[in-house]
Amino acid sequence: MRGSFSDHASLLLLGAGLILWFWGTWPLLGKHSYLRKLHALSVADTLGSSLMLLGLLLRIPGQWPLLTLALVGLIVWNTIFGYVLAACSLPAHPSRRTGQEHTP
Amino acid sequence: MRRLLPLLLSTAFRLALWCLLTSDLSRLNLLIGLVVALLLPRARSRPLPVRLLLKAAGRALLAIPQAYLEALRLIVAPGVVELETSEPATDRALPLLVFLDVFRITLTPFTIVLGLEDGGRRYRIHSLLPAAAPEASEP
Repeated sequence: MRGSFSDHASLLLLGAGLILWFWGTWPLLGKHSYLRKLHALSVADTLGSSLMLLGLLLRIPGQWPLLTLALVGLIVWNTIFGYVLAACSLPAHPSRRTGQEHTP
Repeated sequence: MRRLLPLLLSTAFRLALWCLLTSDLSRLNLLIGLVVALLLPRARSRPLPVRLLLKAAGRALLAIPQAYLEALRLIVAPGVVELETSEPATDRALPLLVFLDVFRITLTPFTIVLGLEDGGRRYRIHSLLPAAAPEASEP
């Protein structure tokens, strides 16, 4: 009974993650603005993928160290990569250059 | 304590990653992991205020359920509006706090950080909000 419950819960999580994936990656093909695509991608990539990892964790609990590592990697990588992609969309403007004044 | 905190945190994080990667908690493996964690180069860091760190970590954790709620609201929204805002930044000389802030803001689907402005005192934020009126929807 317990096994079947975790099976169902994991299917539910995997399915929810898949829905978020499709919802987030489909707009990439459209004509929306770059930043709007980035918003959608954060839904797909971080939120969808973490639901899938939780689903996998219920399905194969023996592999929890690697799945946890994947979750940590997802968090660190997506945060930094999202920041870099967003910063790249900006033209270099004067207010950012003033931020670079460091006195040695 | 405040001086040692960055060293402790980075070493603990590296050791935890090592243990997850090897999934082996034997004494020898822990020792190797500790040596690797201490030998890897680290950035020069300033003393980290514990209270600020706990506050930023708490807000980052709270952002996780909020992110799913916002994702649902975006999915059911008939249309969206884009706008740019800004938010005061914590000290940019403390990279861990900046990371936690950027994580908190970027994780939630409504907002992403575009960069720092005003000499690093504010985050420039792009937000995408569900439109109130249905006529804002696009084909």
